[in-house]
Amino acid sequence: MTLDINWRRWRLVAFGGFIVSAILFVAIFANVVAPYSPYDLDVANMLAPPSGAHLLGTDELGRDVLSRVIYAARISMMVAVLASMVGLIFGTIIGSVAAYFGGWVDMVLMRFMEVLFSFPAILLAVVLMAALGTSVVNSMIAIGIIFIPGFARLARAAAIDVLRKQYVESARAVGMSNTRILVREILPNIFAPLLVEAAVAFSYAVLLESALSFLGLGAQPPEPSWGNMLNVGRGFMANAAWLSLAPGMAIFLTVLGFNTLGDGLRDAFDPHLRD
Amino acid sequence: MSEPLIDIKNVSKEFGGGLFSRLAPFKAVSDISLSVARNQTMGIVGESGSGKSTLLRMVLRLIQPTSGEITINGQNVWALKGGQLKAFRRQVQPVFQNPASSFNPRHSIQSILTAPLEVHGIGTPAERRDRAVELLERVGLDPAMRHRLPHQFSGGQKQRIAIARAVILGPTVVLADEPTSALDVSVQAQVLKLFSDIKDDLGLTTIFVSHNLAVIRQVSDRVAVMQHGRLVEEGPVDDIFDNPGNDYTRNLIAAVPDPAFARRNRAGTAVHPVSPA
Repeated sequence: MTLDINWRRWRLVAFGGFIVSAILFVAIFANVVAPYSPYDLDVANMLAPPSGAHLLGTDELGRDVLSRVIYAARISMMVAVLASMVGLIFGTIIGSVAAYFGGWVDMVLMRFMEVLFSFPAILLAVVLMAALGTSVVNSMIAIGIIFIPGFARLARAAAIDVLRKQYVESARAVGMSNTRILVREILPNIFAPLLVEAAVAFSYAVLLESALSFLGLGAQPPEPSWGNMLNVGRGFMANAAWLSLAPGMAIFLTVLGFNTLGDGLRDAFDPHLRD
Repeated sequence: MSEPLIDIKNVSKEFGGGLFSRLAPFKAVSDISLSVARNQTMGIVGESGSGKSTLLRMVLRLIQPTSGEITINGQNVWALKGGQLKAFRRQVQPVFQNPASSFNPRHSIQSILTAPLEVHGIGTPAERRDRAVELLERVGLDPAMRHRLPHQFSGGQKQRIAIARAVILGPTVVLADEPTSALDVSVQAQVLKLFSDIKDDLGLTTIFVSHNLAVIRQVSDRVAVMQHGRLVEEGPVDDIFDNPGNDYTRNLIAAVPDPAFARRNRAGTAVHPVSPA
């Protein structure tokens, strides 16, 4: 078999994948890539504009902005990955269980999901953070909960389609247990659309995490996060715009990368778009 | 006739009409009584929508009847629990219609064939594999192909695998829902022959649902004709085909385009079988 990749079909995936892997690389190897520690103060060098020594300048306490943006990528990625996982796992379980059992189970689960859906995401996040307390772990949980209804709906729709297949009837007819049917027959066949959704949820998680940190509900200073850096930079907009521009660009690039990857995957997996 | 193995008594099935349903209830099967003797094949014919598949699924304990009772070997199918239900699952197996959706596309043929044995805790992994190999040979497929995925097989091959899966647990009853209707005529004949051979070898009792009269005539001992969820006529296959006692059956037979088959049934009028008699 020759490796026959249709680049036209996969170009979005390649582009998004490139940005995403670059950001992931930087986040994972932050301690190697970053030129300085994100916490080291340099009081002689406060609010220094970008220069050879500090590529993105320094902040109000003389900390290297580039290093802080790089370390903040770690928190963003961690929150985004784990929040998407929380949404993916619980959403898939709820959606496929609702589809499989139908009737009352379906009604109760999906109405509950719609209640969650009806709140604006950021409002729900703020409420959840207020209830759970401010910390990085809690922001992960809060964002994950916001994602659950989306994954649940998608999983339910896909599972209902699979349930009509005769192999599910055959599995019932041999006496396979419900759990086994869900795991063995249904889950493997609904995974592709859920993975695409996960990539899109991921970029959304980066935005939400930044928003929460911006509001002071996520990562707490001095721990760097794109959101709290933006919040601090807001006060120095007129004389030190790089303080806000650097984390802003980081958020922009990350969201662009994951959205492109998600859209690309969606198109690549869509049989109707075969060329 | 010996003691019936499968006994269907006054079975009805209504769909919809629940508390929150926006649809009027629809009677898919109404008041059907049928019995099948051991080692016999009961053919069920009827146009699509006549309720024959629904009836089959009720016997398989996949769809619950609204009323009536189904017994197999003297046991009420819908009253079974725990160990008895497990035993029932081993005894009664289906062969479904659509080769395209009857196998999970993500599992190899070997995994599909050994899954029923795993579910019932039969044998070691090696023994289960041997059993799958043995059955693939029995249905005329090369056991070396067992690692392939379902989409790599033709429709006829898939139905052979479906038959292998149906008998791997050593059932006494096999219920076939249009097992050949998605196949070419030439392949249909081969699969039918295989089905009949296996049925005779294993001494199976079967119900064979089809809209194809020629197929029903070939495999069945007795035949039941269904229309709009009701049993129109039931009897030995040759009696029904040569001497139909009901207008609907006559029309059904007259509508068969095969001249060799229709020649024997000149009595039939040319009315389309869908028009209510």
